[in-house]
Amino acid sequence: MSVLVSRRGLLAGGGAIAAAALGTGIAVARILPGAMQPLIGPGYKPTDRDEIGLWQQMERVEEEIAGSNLLIKDPGLNDYLRDLIGNVGGPAAKDMRIYLARIPEFNAVMFPTGFAVVFSGLLLRMRNEAQLAGVIAHESAHFLRKHQIRQWRDVRRKTDLLAIAAMGAGVAGGAAGVYTGDLARLAQLGTILTMLRYNRSLEAEADAMGVRLLADAGYAPMEMSRTWEQLIGELDASAKYRRKKRDRGYSLFSTHPAPEARMADLKLSASEVTIAGRSYEDHRARYLRAIGAIRPTLLDDQVKLNDPGASQYIIDTLAQDGWNGLLRFYEAEVWRLRNRAGDDARAAQGYAVAVQYADAPADAWRWHGIMLQKAGRRAEAKYAFAHYLSVAPDAPDAPFIRQQLQFL
Amino acid sequence: MRRLIIAATCAAALSACVQTKQYADVQFAPPEGEYKLLVMRPDVSVGSVTTGGLVEPRADWTEQSRANLLAALKAQQASRGGNVLILEKRDGLATMGVNSDTVAELERLHYAVGASIALHRYSGAYLPTKRRKGLDWTLGQQAVDLGRRTGYDYALFLHAEDSFASTGRVALQVLGAAGCIVGFCAPNIGGGGQFAYASLVDLRTGEVVWFNVLQAGTQIAGISMGDIRKPEGAAQMVDRLLNRMKPGREVQRAMKASGQ
Amino acid sequence: MSRFIPLALTAILVTACSSVGGEGFGYGGYTLVRAQQRSVGDGSMIVTPPREWNRQSSVWAIDDIRQVEDWTLNGPYLDSMSFVTGLKGGRYIIRQSKRTAQQVPKFRSDMTAPEIAAMLESFYRVKAGAIDFKTTGLSPRQFMGYPGFQFDFDHLDTDEVWRRGRAVGAVIDTRLYLVLLDGARAHYYAAALPDLEAVVNSARLKR
Repeated sequence: MSVLVSRRGLLAGGGAIAAAALGTGIAVARILPGAMQPLIGPGYKPTDRDEIGLWQQMERVEEEIAGSNLLIKDPGLNDYLRDLIGNVGGPAAKDMRIYLARIPEFNAVMFPTGFAVVFSGLLLRMRNEAQLAGVIAHESAHFLRKHQIRQWRDVRRKTDLLAIAAMGAGVAGGAAGVYTGDLARLAQLGTILTMLRYNRSLEAEADAMGVRLLADAGYAPMEMSRTWEQLIGELDASAKYRRKKRDRGYSLFSTHPAPEARMADLKLSASEVTIAGRSYEDHRARYLRAIGAIRPTLLDDQVKLNDPGASQYIIDTLAQDGWNGLLRFYEAEVWRLRNRAGDDARAAQGYAVAVQYADAPADAWRWHGIMLQKAGRRAEAKYAFAHYLSVAPDAPDAPFIRQQLQFL
Repeated sequence: MRRLIIAATCAAALSACVQTKQYADVQFAPPEGEYKLLVMRPDVSVGSVTTGGLVEPRADWTEQSRANLLAALKAQQASRGGNVLILEKRDGLATMGVNSDTVAELERLHYAVGASIALHRYSGAYLPTKRRKGLDWTLGQQAVDLGRRTGYDYALFLHAEDSFASTGRVALQVLGAAGCIVGFCAPNIGGGGQFAYASLVDLRTGEVVWFNVLQAGTQIAGISMGDIRKPEGAAQMVDRLLNRMKPGREVQRAMKASGQ
Repeated sequence: MSRFIPLALTAILVTACSSVGGEGFGYGGYTLVRAQQRSVGDGSMIVTPPREWNRQSSVWAIDDIRQVEDWTLNGPYLDSMSFVTGLKGGRYIIRQSKRTAQQVPKFRSDMTAPEIAAMLESFYRVKAGAIDFKTTGLSPRQFMGYPGFQFDFDHLDTDEVWRRGRAVGAVIDTRLYLVLLDGARAHYYAAALPDLEAVVNSARLKR
């Protein structure tokens, strides 16, 4: 994944380039994982003038991102991510930094100086640690293969960038400023450094190296291609619900196999790097423990956007590893917000199912109570509200619920 | 719950003029003598305009421009006297007991206030309740607290945006819709050309007492209007923004009355 | 609520290098609201603001809902007071395309206060760029003589500014009536809150 383009944009880009490739009869050959060597080692610092200039600027960008209040600062979670990048970061594992941003988009961004920003939407969609590590490995590969500076040099050759002369060691290290809002613009515009958009062969390199880093660290390499499947499935489900084709740029997918080609390549590469007799893990349990505390928030952020096709798909995907109270509750929430004919009944049933699980969130009891109250089932509603207040006595809406109890 | 779209009635403006207009609190008198001024970290964003009209932020241009603007500010303030601190990092006031979070909060609030002043004073979206009031915006108690703890009398905020056509094509003036899909919209984020403002906050009251907007015309190929990616361009911008600070309306009247 | 105003400063360039800004002219984005009794929205609610406010004009608005009216004191980035008047079930508080992936849910006449609060929360997340949204209170409150609710919330938006809001409303004869204040948590919300309370307490239904 490039520094800037979101997965969605990336798929679009891949599709367009593939179409052109098919048109001219030139196919991009699969890059062999074995051929991918890291181009940097531990403690890497640049020596070329232009790269030094780029690094200085990136240090400023990192400073600003690190100061954003859109980051999730939970220490446990951040330690977990740091450990992950330590596993799949290759020779530069100890040097890389990782930040987690509270943005409900499926995206991760690696900057040329070895710091990455992972969006909370990504954390939501990953089924296990291997999938998350796969994305981080792919991003790390961009850094380890120096894609950013290579691409930047390539773009420089082709365009008339006015600012070239000032780039380099002369850029004042003390330049200061404010980047308010740019973190979110990352999600919207998908770009912060336009010259670092990767071409298809660099993406193929990152795929190949990423899958190798993943396997070397003992993760199941096949999981990388699964994240692609999941994203495409989600985009399809979202568009289907709104009775439209996938967004502009994706119409190419219906006729051109580019993402499928990448998936196929990844599957081939995955089998190549698999050593017979060695065991590979997805570490799902460890992953769920690490994100357990934040998972309700991630689901909340996603479901409340009211994109029923996407949200239902995500929940169904996560539920392949087992339904629980949290997932059943959010499934009901999807239906409640979706609100098509019959959805209020579906949602009511959904809450009724959710509260049967021990891990049902407190909110499930409140909504269960409201649905029962609307259906005139007063005694049951009373029980549900009372239960809600007992598990969440300081809930912000407790005063309202207490009043409802008086009417029942 | 509605969106107000202000139509660009003159899209591809061929006029390449530069305009500045100051607004001041009616009681404002430009600071002179031994005043202590805190120059907050300049908020700079320079991008390249895509053919679709989106402005994509460019970190290299942005950093260059920032460095140039800072250098120009230092030079400009040096010639005016007064005690000046130019804040380069958020923790620059840590020795005075003001941590980086506090600075960050003030920067964020000012971003919203500055954008509002630019929008409602300069862009035609006038607020009738602010008629004849000069400048009627404040940063509130947070600014006053900052002033008390650091001992500074004024804080100067600088915001600069610029964008350039990326491959030499003419940048089309577009509605500022880029970046406004979901979330924050600021004046001129989507447009072409240069837009900058400086605002002076009186830290004893928290009020914004002076505000100046600089708008340079369309970036037409070949015409370079004070390119802030170059030191001369940045110096030009700083000069236009800061060097001719005029007093507020009531002070001007008083000066006229006393025959100055 | 209608904080997000795309605009082009090219409007200034119309007059080339002639006077820029100026207090006399403007294209009428806002009109003055005097501190006296007036009807709002579709006319079914009457309120008395305690001081002058600015009303967002519907002339330039492209997603105008007749039942919704927006005011501001210092500009929508800093504060805004919105009115929903007589919104029927099955309607939306904003206009949106049916094809958009993420959508604000519609109002239903049988909605309880938590459901209305959830609808507003989705509005903030989908349309108003809220990244984090916290409900800080939902309690019963009389509104225009009918049993209603007061909904308090905080939200962090993509411009990194924390804002605070309060909505007071009720469903009366299957229609939604609501007054909502939203403003920057630093200074502006608190400065406008007395106005909201005065407006809410003065609100009457026009029969």
